Amino acid sequence: MNNFGVIEVASTATKNTPGWAYVPDTGPALSAALQPANRKRAARKQAALSLSDLSAREETRIRKDLETLDRDSHRDANIPIPPRPGGSRAQNKHTPNVRKILQSQKTFANHLDDYQAMLALAESNPAAAAAMNAALTKPSTPTTAASKSASPVPTAASAGGSKRSAAAAKRAAAKEKQEQERKKARQTPKAEPEPEAEPQQQQHQQQDDQTDVEMTDATAPTEPTPTSAPEPTTPQPSTYPRESLILPAYAKPPPAAHPGDGDPLLVSHVPPFPSDDELRALMEAPPLSYLEARAAWGDEERRYPVRAFCAVCGYWGRVKCMKCGTRVCALECLEAHREECVSRYGL
Amino acid sequence: MAASRKSRATGPPRPSTTLVLDNGADTIKAGFVTGDKTHAPRVIPNCLARDRHRKTYVGSELEKCRDFGEIAFRRPVEKGFVVSWEAQKEIWDREFFDDKAPQRCDPSETRLVLTEQPNALPALQTHCDQMVFEEFGFASYCRGVGPAFNAYQDIQAIFHTPRTPETPVDIPAEVILVIDSGYSHTTVTPIVQGRPLHQAIRRLDVGGRLMTNYLTRLLSVRHFDMRNETFIANEMRESVCYVSLDFKGDLEKTWKGTRGERRDEYLSGAGIAKDYVLPDSHTTFHGVVRDYEPGVSARARKAAVSTEDILTLRNERFVVPELLFNPSDIGMRQPGLADLVMQSLSALPIGLWPGLLANIVVVGGNAKLDNFIQRLQMELLERVPDECVVRVARPEDPITSTWLGAANFARHEHVERLTVTKQEYEEHGAGWAARKFAAGLPVET
Repeated sequence: MNNFGVIEVASTATKNTPGWAYVPDTGPALSAALQPANRKRAARKQAALSLSDLSAREETRIRKDLETLDRDSHRDANIPIPPRPGGSRAQNKHTPNVRKILQSQKTFANHLDDYQAMLALAESNPAAAAAMNAALTKPSTPTTAASKSASPVPTAASAGGSKRSAAAAKRAAAKEKQEQERKKARQTPKAEPEPEAEPQQQQHQQQDDQTDVEMTDATAPTEPTPTSAPEPTTPQPSTYPRESLILPAYAKPPPAAHPGDGDPLLVSHVPPFPSDDELRALMEAPPLSYLEARAAWGDEERRYPVRAFCAVCGYWGRVKCMKCGTRVCALECLEAHREECVSRYGL
Repeated sequence: MAASRKSRATGPPRPSTTLVLDNGADTIKAGFVTGDKTHAPRVIPNCLARDRHRKTYVGSELEKCRDFGEIAFRRPVEKGFVVSWEAQKEIWDREFFDDKAPQRCDPSETRLVLTEQPNALPALQTHCDQMVFEEFGFASYCRGVGPAFNAYQDIQAIFHTPRTPETPVDIPAEVILVIDSGYSHTTVTPIVQGRPLHQAIRRLDVGGRLMTNYLTRLLSVRHFDMRNETFIANEMRESVCYVSLDFKGDLEKTWKGTRGERRDEYLSGAGIAKDYVLPDSHTTFHGVVRDYEPGVSARARKAAVSTEDILTLRNERFVVPELLFNPSDIGMRQPGLADLVMQSLSALPIGLWPGLLANIVVVGGNAKLDNFIQRLQMELLERVPDECVVRVARPEDPITSTWLGAANFARHEHVERLTVTKQEYEEHGAGWAARKFAAGLPVET
């Protein structure tokens, strides 16, 4: 072998020889092994070589996909308000609040971000948040006062004398102060509801446990339920309190007793009904925030792999394109896909 | 002075008319309740639309529109909440307050019952209250969580529960679980005695809009570019889509097979394939669904009757609504509808489960999808304890169901406890009103 006197020293760099191999498609971790360590060319080769399912690139693609799917229209529709057919109506004066709202160009995303920022601020810096909150609510309070002066009610008051209006102003000021204090108080113990909720949850947990126990040794005939004709001698089950005022028990008399009612196999089991206090707590609980209410993946959803579909015809995506990793169902769709793939990524 | 004291004591007379508004993202459902009479609601498109001749339609003017090709929409409601009040005010003005408005009313003598989606942002709620009182000047106003109004209907009639005529009708219903699947999203709301259990409300961000966009994408890949034809795609989704009860089987039936293979089920259409005749915007303006004619290829027909554009829809018909049950199909990290219900239930004591599961009401436009109810019931039965009875039903008209509930609510005595009058608003301010609405109905006893 003639190498013109150049001696190859064993190097750590691995060589990437072009070629292909059957590789088990097990998960995202694989791509690191397949990716060349050569950083210089990585950017160029990325498009062709990523076989991974959920690389960062894939993730962004999905996110963008969802964003476009969630948009209202393909183009940005900027439709101005058309003029009225019968000429513009005499514009009545808007209050400052209304003017602000009408001129606002904020989208829902903007509002959501604002809200998030406010929550974050409330967590990290309660005092500043309270101040901001006060500043936010302030415009509403003066305008209410302003509208009050504009509305017909205080005309009588102004005629009636200044004493009353002064008293009203004092009261309003006191109220505002009170409100701010209350707000501050509400802001600072942000974490408070949680410790409060926890025992409740534990209670639930306990109850769940109890029900589980009850359900497992369900054969106990000492537990008749409203459906299985309760004998007057047996004590009323605690499972369905008759004294519940929020959800009163079924008023009608139960059906006639049947000799089979005592059969442990036929007895139906009703989990203990929540008490009035529990129900009231549930009914009076404050709403969750917008993002808290969004359902997220639980363990149940993580258990199974995500289904993959053919990008061309929508059948199961059984094959992956070697070039870009898009799933297709079979050769016919692969060919259809290849046209697009070539035009996008080159040969 | 004496006069003013007297007027304060009695307050303004109770408004005799109530405007009930279900202000949805796609359509407004609006109607009046006067005294004990409920007038039938109108369904008004809640959008500004501009067609390709650059003519703009506002709200119900859209009926006059003939050519829906390349029509563009601007919607004041985003994600279920009114965001652009500029546009919303224009639509409300034209529908309710102008001299020639189709449902004219004088706000200063009218009470407004307005529905909103659960878990709203406080800033948007404040905007809403301010607009209602400071701009429109309604005499009194009540804002409530939309799905909760469904409890003010004869729920057992929806389930066709056998009962004797003398059985009293519970209004509000004691325990129901409302699934509201609308244009922007799908929510699950457990309701006890007309009060939503806020801790257990869950939302899935799949709604009509997302499904229409998904259908548009599929068609653009497989047939031709529909991205500017949102309206036509939306119409198509409403007329042809159905929920599959056997997804795997249906998918198998609509597969064309590998290269060179021609599967019988594919050729015959297997009862799934449908032809959709697109409007040509000269003679026809709405699409028509036809049964798939096997044997005659679309091209041959096209040559014979050259004016028709025909799309053959196969798995698009059921893959699109499948997103409600498997949002992960498009990479969305959210549970399907049945799991959503289970997540909501898991936030509640187990004693409430039987009642909620036996009274599941599905409302909103998506409830009109064929087999939706059956599929949900099927999936829920797999997930709940064996002893639980699962009943899922939809009202006769799922779109106006919330409106009907709200109209019943407007006649119910509960409405008095929840309304805020203009006077009160001016006296106590927007913050007070917002707190009153947030607290909802006080729980008696």
